[in-house]
Amino acid sequence: MPYYAKSEDWLHQSSLLLQARPSTTRITTRYHLKPARRVPKPRKSTDADATTTTPAAPPKQQPTQTETDTKPPRGHLVLKTYDAHSGVTLKYKTSKAAEVTRLVQMLGTLGRGMAGLAASTTTTAEVVVGGGEDEVMVDVSGAGGGAGGGEGSGVQTPVGGAGAGGKEQQQQQQLPQQGGGGGGKKKKKGKK
Amino acid sequence: MGHLTHDEFFTKLADIFTTRRTKAHGAVFLTQKRLSHNQPTPSNPPSSASPPPSSDPLADLHPAQPLPLLIRATNGKGKDDRAAKIKLSTVVEPDALEAFYARYAEVCKAGMTALKPRDRTKRKAKAKKRKGGAAAATAA
Repeated sequence: MPYYAKSEDWLHQSSLLLQARPSTTRITTRYHLKPARRVPKPRKSTDADATTTTPAAPPKQQPTQTETDTKPPRGHLVLKTYDAHSGVTLKYKTSKAAEVTRLVQMLGTLGRGMAGLAASTTTTAEVVVGGGEDEVMVDVSGAGGGAGGGEGSGVQTPVGGAGAGGKEQQQQQQLPQQGGGGGGKKKKKGKK
Repeated sequence: MGHLTHDEFFTKLADIFTTRRTKAHGAVFLTQKRLSHNQPTPSNPPSSASPPPSSDPLADLHPAQPLPLLIRATNGKGKDDRAAKIKLSTVVEPDALEAFYARYAEVCKAGMTALKPRDRTKRKAKAKKRKGGAAAATAA
């Protein structure tokens, strides 16, 4: 029962599963709230300040540490594709609000395949997804706009959606890599 | 339980999200599947005739016409709290998929407020990194 690190991988595998078993596969989206975690204490504040400059990960944790007591509970979103016949389960988990619109678009793409419409749409989506990691957001919003479903993303993109989306991808990549300060450069190298 | 129209569905789904926001925990489940209620599937073969096993499992791969989707939503209440359970369901016809998912995305985005907002601090950290110690001193 794998969790995929990237939503694109989840989309790809789910579309394959849907092609194989379109009538017994269902997609469940679970949005759940957890009470805010008890953070023991902001430990070693000087140390945290020092590390802020070097790696990319600590700046992300720092605000959650300081704001946990005031903040409402954190929500999580889990997408699960489950084939009742074979028992295959594919999952993707995120906690980023910026991804919601894109994920629902993916649900729509998969929904088309599920309805038996347009394998062509699914394949174009896959091509778009495989095209380039940084440009995924731009391309998907463009495709969604072309299909008439990109209203939400169309609102988002003018606010610098492309750049922020790239950042988000970069962040996703950095988490498994645990790459330090050079994460940005590594990302550019790794892009194909 | 009858299916709702799209308008009712979205209104009630927004209600579910709103009540979820007021509580500090809980979940919302959204499910989508092909609506194949009266159609034979591999797990539910027609009882009358025993079809050839080679053709039947593949029959659903190429439906003669697009099938509708069944969208369900619940507020995650299980058996122990049956009275509070809310179940919504609606059927989306193939030609209405685009419009439905556009609204679906809006409702979900509006409802899932507890997710992490786009991280602004990261950009500051990057700028800091570029400029070096001077900017770090001002930010700290």
